[in-house]
Amino acid sequence: MKDRFLAVLSVILVISLIVPTAYGIGAEKKLRVAFIYVGPIGDYGWSHAHEMARQSLIKKLPWVEFLPPAESVPEADAVRFIDRFVREEKADVVFTTSFGYMDATIEAGKKYPDKIFFHCSGYSRAKNVGTYFAELYQVYYLNGLMAGALTKTNKVGYVGAHPIPEVIRHINAFALGVQEVNPKATVDVRWLFSWYDPSKARMAAESLISDGCDVLAFTEDSPTVVTVGEEYTKKGKPVYTFGHYSPMQKYGPNSCVSGQLVHWEVIYKDILEKIRRKVYTNTNLENVDYWWLLKEKAVELGGDFGVPVNPRFITPLKGKKILDPVFGKISVYDLVMKRLSQMKANPEKFDPFTGPIKDQTGKVRIEAGRRATHDELWNMDWFVPNVIAKIPK
Amino acid sequence: MLEKYRNLGLSFLVVILGLFGIYLVSGISPYIMLKSIIISAFGSIYGLSETLTKSIPLMLCGLGLSLSFRSSIWNIGAEGQLLMGAIGATWIALYVMPNAPKLILIPMMFIVGAICGGIWALIPAILKVKFNLNEIIVSLMLNYIAIEFVNYLIYGPWKSPYEWGFPYSTKFPISAQLPRILDTRIHYPTLILALVLAIFIYIILYKSKLGYEIRVIGDNIDAARYAGLDIRKIIILVLILSGGLAGLAGVGEVAGIHHRLRVASGISSGYGYTAVIVAWLGRLNPFLIVFVSFLFGGLLVGGDAIQVSLGLPGATINFINGLILIFVLVQSFSKIRLYSTKKGAER
Amino acid sequence: MNFIIEVLKATIPAGTPLLLGALGEIYVERSGILNLGVEGMMIMGAISAFSMTNITGNVWLGVLISIIIGGGMALIHAFNSITLKANQTLSGLALTMLGLGLSGLIGKGYIGVPLSGKLHNLPVYGFKDIPIIGPIFFDQDPLVYISYVLTLIFWFFLFNTRFGIELRSVGESPDVADSAGINVAKIQYLATFIGGMMAGLGGAYLSVVYAPAWIEGMTAGMGWIVLAITIFSLWRPERAILGSYFFGCIRVLQYRLQPLGISPNLLNMLPFIFTILVLMLAAREISRKRISSPSSLGIPYFREKTL
Repeated sequence: MKDRFLAVLSVILVISLIVPTAYGIGAEKKLRVAFIYVGPIGDYGWSHAHEMARQSLIKKLPWVEFLPPAESVPEADAVRFIDRFVREEKADVVFTTSFGYMDATIEAGKKYPDKIFFHCSGYSRAKNVGTYFAELYQVYYLNGLMAGALTKTNKVGYVGAHPIPEVIRHINAFALGVQEVNPKATVDVRWLFSWYDPSKARMAAESLISDGCDVLAFTEDSPTVVTVGEEYTKKGKPVYTFGHYSPMQKYGPNSCVSGQLVHWEVIYKDILEKIRRKVYTNTNLENVDYWWLLKEKAVELGGDFGVPVNPRFITPLKGKKILDPVFGKISVYDLVMKRLSQMKANPEKFDPFTGPIKDQTGKVRIEAGRRATHDELWNMDWFVPNVIAKIPK
Repeated sequence: MLEKYRNLGLSFLVVILGLFGIYLVSGISPYIMLKSIIISAFGSIYGLSETLTKSIPLMLCGLGLSLSFRSSIWNIGAEGQLLMGAIGATWIALYVMPNAPKLILIPMMFIVGAICGGIWALIPAILKVKFNLNEIIVSLMLNYIAIEFVNYLIYGPWKSPYEWGFPYSTKFPISAQLPRILDTRIHYPTLILALVLAIFIYIILYKSKLGYEIRVIGDNIDAARYAGLDIRKIIILVLILSGGLAGLAGVGEVAGIHHRLRVASGISSGYGYTAVIVAWLGRLNPFLIVFVSFLFGGLLVGGDAIQVSLGLPGATINFINGLILIFVLVQSFSKIRLYSTKKGAER
Repeated sequence: MNFIIEVLKATIPAGTPLLLGALGEIYVERSGILNLGVEGMMIMGAISAFSMTNITGNVWLGVLISIIIGGGMALIHAFNSITLKANQTLSGLALTMLGLGLSGLIGKGYIGVPLSGKLHNLPVYGFKDIPIIGPIFFDQDPLVYISYVLTLIFWFFLFNTRFGIELRSVGESPDVADSAGINVAKIQYLATFIGGMMAGLGGAYLSVVYAPAWIEGMTAGMGWIVLAITIFSLWRPERAILGSYFFGCIRVLQYRLQPLGISPNLLNMLPFIFTILVLMLAAREISRKRISSPSSLGIPYFREKTL
């Protein structure tokens, strides 16, 4: 009895060992994919969002072998991390997820011509190096509409990480939204020169509040600004905030109006599937540049997934009515929803960066009726007139 | 004799306790960690080439620091001096003579880089001599100021018009880029410069009058004063030399690796601080420092490896560095103690 | 006026970690020991407090563990410099590197994690209504009040107790102290330990009250500014208050001055530039008033022995 049991057991064991191996040989070779992050995975911003996307794809794409990612990689060391992934871990595709890795990625593309690289947020490409970006400016504009409606002091604040085109573009889109709803309101900015530093973000936010700002948006990788807003709101001095990148409404249920959310997995899935179908190879990426917005579903409006506007704020936003040249008298809430659906349409029926748009000096930057080009948006180094801060020069 | 064994024992105890600490925190066995560091840094041609590349700035900074430490001046500002050197080189390459031929441009970059590093080290020197300020704190504060200064330049006046508004300087012209060995990143002119300077510093320290004076001041400042040495002049000279060498390291990094000025953390990941340990572990001996730089270059390269393969944070290397410094300290305390007693007795 | 009150109100918490660190370092240096490892002890205090608070949900347990860890780190320095009589500068630097490294290792999992416990502002009844002073000093969190009390205690003990006299005499001239029957090593060990506990507490304030978050390398040079404040204070606890709040104020002003159009990078240099200026100021005062640093600072004490 016991012997037979053992025999059966060993047969099962042998089968279970052989079958997968045989199957493995027959199946396609798994694509080995590596990720390099600039920040810690545990922050609440950029790198965290990329990691969430990577993890959500592990189950969805069984034909991909996701290598353990490298986090907090300094720009100066990016080359060696790419080398390591390609040489030691035999990666086929490497995603470098920070602007600072651009030179390193291009260099690696030359060094390893048979591998594929994708660089996030850069502009240099090569035949085996593509670029991609999930762009949030349309969502910032929608947030701006709400901010303009909610401010009582007509002063809106913005905590910016670094004065680079991406952040400047976001501030402008946000300010354009504010302008549309509330032409009297101004947008002030404080720079942190850091992507993740809660104590700096707190000081910057408090400094804006003490200058009279009662609505705050930000680009920074922690929920600090939302936390500060919640503290003030609870103390009876309402400060409304907009989350950034990750669901932050839970940090400020009374303060967080809405925010921007990102779905990197949409882009990653598309890229990897096209690599699998040989649409993308190591010779044709010269012009592959993802610049995905609302209509590609790479970004979402809201302080939490599926919650475009914190329900607490729907009534006040519905109560505030403005006169729109196209829609006539309309509540800000309805305007937000209209614009959202216009930008979700393919092709978009509306874009915030449509002229005429002037800069702070009064110079026309985008002529009437024209939509800003991709390059103009990428290059942006000027503020729209209702931003009262200056770009550090 | 017995004391010597006791020190050795203590040192090993420190290291073992430290490694056990890493194990407790991360759950990764020290053996696997060390193996991974050594194989990735020294186990392949590629690893060796990267190790050598990393050792160049360590060598230059370490050599500079050895001069100042030998005279008991605590220059902890190599990091800032390196960055200032990088700024000087960028200035020459992009704004002063961008069209000069390679043979003129590159030497000029090194000269001006060294001068910038030297000037940055001159600040703590003058403050020490004139106001008797602690050079450790001053040189450290200057590191932070240099970091912000680099950032100021690349976000402000030196921001390239060709880089889409991102914080980079324009790329150096080809004539300002150092040649490298094959497809490695070893910018050999800087490496040769470092090796030549090691010999030069050995000669200064052990074969020249200045070197004798440096050693006297370092061993016993009161005796030096008794002997009528111009201590102020020597302190200033030593710090300028020390900063100048770190400045050269900065030139090598921008001209040999990055070919542009970029955010400070992108240029140096703490070479100036690691060089402090390099200098001490090399017992302030120029030739030994060259060798120790190579080992530490390996430690830095291996540090990336344990991040990728074992998932340890980059700061682990900092911790190992600290351990090694304590190891050095415990090992050599009897020697240092000799100086201290003399100093104490003279007072 | 409102602007000034708000800046000053924000200054106090910004200066508190510096004050706590400086109080401790004053005792250390008064005993003739130079501990340059403040940065390392502070950051270890920060991470241990943060992790303990997160595990237990109790801020006070976090604060307690940071004091213990800070003190423990200081004992390494004490062993090096008092028992082994090794080079104190080098030992302090080693402590800094060790702290920065180990904290990064421990803190890896705590980046971006919200703190589970929290210290709320606790306006002091009766005091908080005093015009100007009330809102600035008495509408703060409990640890700030503790820092006020600690400053008083440190001042009182240094100048009015037997322990204070012994501490100072050990720092001034250990051989005289020794021949007067004072146990030099014991006093120095104790002072270094106190210094470490205070540095740890300062770090805890940063990570569990001020930020509240864990960021790798979050002390960002504060430990070195503490050393400068110690010198600026001329080794007197009551003057450390002045120095600490001054630097706290600079940190706060960095962001309030941005609208004036000064480059934020240049504003970020301010604390470090002022550190150097403050040291020069102290140097002048020291030479004018003929005050000297504790004369045996940084020099190991050897008991005279007939060999």
